[in-house]
Amino acid sequence: MIRLVKVELKRLYARRLTIIGIAGVVLITGLMLFATWRSARPLSESELQQAQTQFEQVHSEWVRSADEWKKQCERDYASAPDPKPSIAEYCSYPEPRLEDFGRPRFTFADTMPDLLYGASYLLAGAAFLIGASFVGAEYSSGSLGNWLTFEPRRLRVYGSKLLGALLGHVPVAVVTLALLIGGTALIVELVGNTSTTSGKVWGDLLAIAGRSVVLAAVVAALGSVFAMLLRHTAAAIGLLMGYLVLVEGVFGGFLIKAQPWLVRLNVDAWIKHGTTYWVDNCQTMPDGIYNCTSLEKTVSFGHSVWYLGIAAAVIVALGALVFSRRDLT
Amino acid sequence: MDDLAVSTRGLRKTYRTRRGKRVVAVRGLDLDVPAGGVHGFLGPNGSGKTTSIRMLLGLIRADAGTMTMFGRPVPERLPEVVSRVGAIVESPKFFPAFSGRKNLELLAEAIGAPRSRVGEVLAETSLGERGKDKYRAYSLGMKQRLAIAATLLKEPDLLIFDEPTNGLDPAGIREIRETMRSLGAQGRTVLVSSHILAEVEQVADTVSIIGHGRLLASGTVAEVIGGAGKGTVKVAIDNHEAAIPVLTEAGWTVRLDGGYLYVDGAAHPADVTRRLAERGMYVAELAPVRADLESVFLELTAGEGLGTDEIKPGPRGGDR
Repeated sequence: MIRLVKVELKRLYARRLTIIGIAGVVLITGLMLFATWRSARPLSESELQQAQTQFEQVHSEWVRSADEWKKQCERDYASAPDPKPSIAEYCSYPEPRLEDFGRPRFTFADTMPDLLYGASYLLAGAAFLIGASFVGAEYSSGSLGNWLTFEPRRLRVYGSKLLGALLGHVPVAVVTLALLIGGTALIVELVGNTSTTSGKVWGDLLAIAGRSVVLAAVVAALGSVFAMLLRHTAAAIGLLMGYLVLVEGVFGGFLIKAQPWLVRLNVDAWIKHGTTYWVDNCQTMPDGIYNCTSLEKTVSFGHSVWYLGIAAAVIVALGALVFSRRDLT
Repeated sequence: MDDLAVSTRGLRKTYRTRRGKRVVAVRGLDLDVPAGGVHGFLGPNGSGKTTSIRMLLGLIRADAGTMTMFGRPVPERLPEVVSRVGAIVESPKFFPAFSGRKNLELLAEAIGAPRSRVGEVLAETSLGERGKDKYRAYSLGMKQRLAIAATLLKEPDLLIFDEPTNGLDPAGIREIRETMRSLGAQGRTVLVSSHILAEVEQVADTVSIIGHGRLLASGTVAEVIGGAGKGTVKVAIDNHEAAIPVLTEAGWTVRLDGGYLYVDGAAHPADVTRRLAERGMYVAELAPVRADLESVFLELTAGEGLGTDEIKPGPRGGDR
């Protein structure tokens, strides 16, 4: 089995699509770093001047009108629909600060998680494509049948292909994320603000990166299973896209109660260690007004772990069952 | 059973067409392939040759029947004998973007063959120089040679070639034929399926003829040929009208075809000349009619319809 996995890893890295996919991921990572550098660099003289002008305008307006705004707000508070925050919070008009104007300050601790979330989806997408084509190409070329004349134990063959796709994506994801984190840290160190980068921030970032690596590896294996089930790379990609657009996009938008069972939200919860979504709660008030309020709901990390784990296990088991019984013509 | 490389009993396979109709590709095939030498597996297109081979190799599942390879039941114990079996089913299929050498290296590593073996088999199949070229750039003949090279990685006792000369030019056909002959001469068993009789007749020691998924005849080439056209003598003589009653009186069957008399039933050609000479008639030409594999094949499959219509709608691929 180990020998077969080694062969599959060699085949994976020798494939042109794998090389192109990795090059694409590295290129996009480079673009993300470039965008980071542009955001992190200090404000120019003209930007500072512009921010100062805007601040002065807003501040003078605040000095003139803040008290009046507050009184008006307090008068209106009673008639505002429930639920509503406290009056102090509802009618708070804090003094404008210069640092709130112009391009936002770039801090490593605030920005890096978002970059990692984006990179996670990028890696998962590339992993699915590479994983699906890894097996789809074998069906298209007919080489899978030839392979089975050398190793007829189908579950071994199936397992080796999945493990090859899975393990093969670990170094790709690790290197990409290391490049992104290291590159961003370097950029921020040189031109940005690292004052809030504590040990806990690094710990959280590494945890996100670790979960992202696991996600990319598993998605690569699932891409292989999809291609195994459908016998074609394009069919596997088409099925995924169709599911995401129709089920997650269209039907998911209507079926609000199904939100915790959507793959995308659970993937979000996996990467971010829990996530939230909003549900509109609409009702007709006693005074006849139709009122909607948005409620924040949570999908926990634990929920995402068992949901995604069971889904992946079922798909892998289904692939094994089909492949072990399928006639290869 | 050790004297048999392959044996099947009651092998059966049905497919369901896209329209839901069930068609029988192999119906109770009993096949014995003796160990050593070249065995021709003959049948018209659609007679079930490739399906039978695929079942032997575990690529498709049989509905009923038993199969053994070197005495081991397959596909259950195929892993035990697969190292002794090399096979090319229909056209060679490799990763097109990899070189021939890379394809072989991956296969060699998968089966634990030494890397040096790749160079050896490339050289054996005259692909040494072209091994570094991408597989997709290979001609059909080179692809076929690479497939043979792949089977040789295992140094197998049984080689299964399914329609190995399909699409090859005459030089390629000759090359493959010589390869098969040479492998058979080395003591290996070569099972070659084909619908081209001439190529098999030249290399096969034994043959099995199937039609519509059933065995029609089996044995050495001489035995199978001997079963048809036995005792037929072709005679050229000036006076047909006078000769026919003479030969008929001797108890032989005579028919006139294309200016020749065809005499069936004579134990020996000399009996025919003697009989005619006794009546003062002398033959201008006399030859025993030797049946060839093609005529036997056509004779045996004549009642089978030869058609592939019943099984044509099966899964994709060539021969079923």
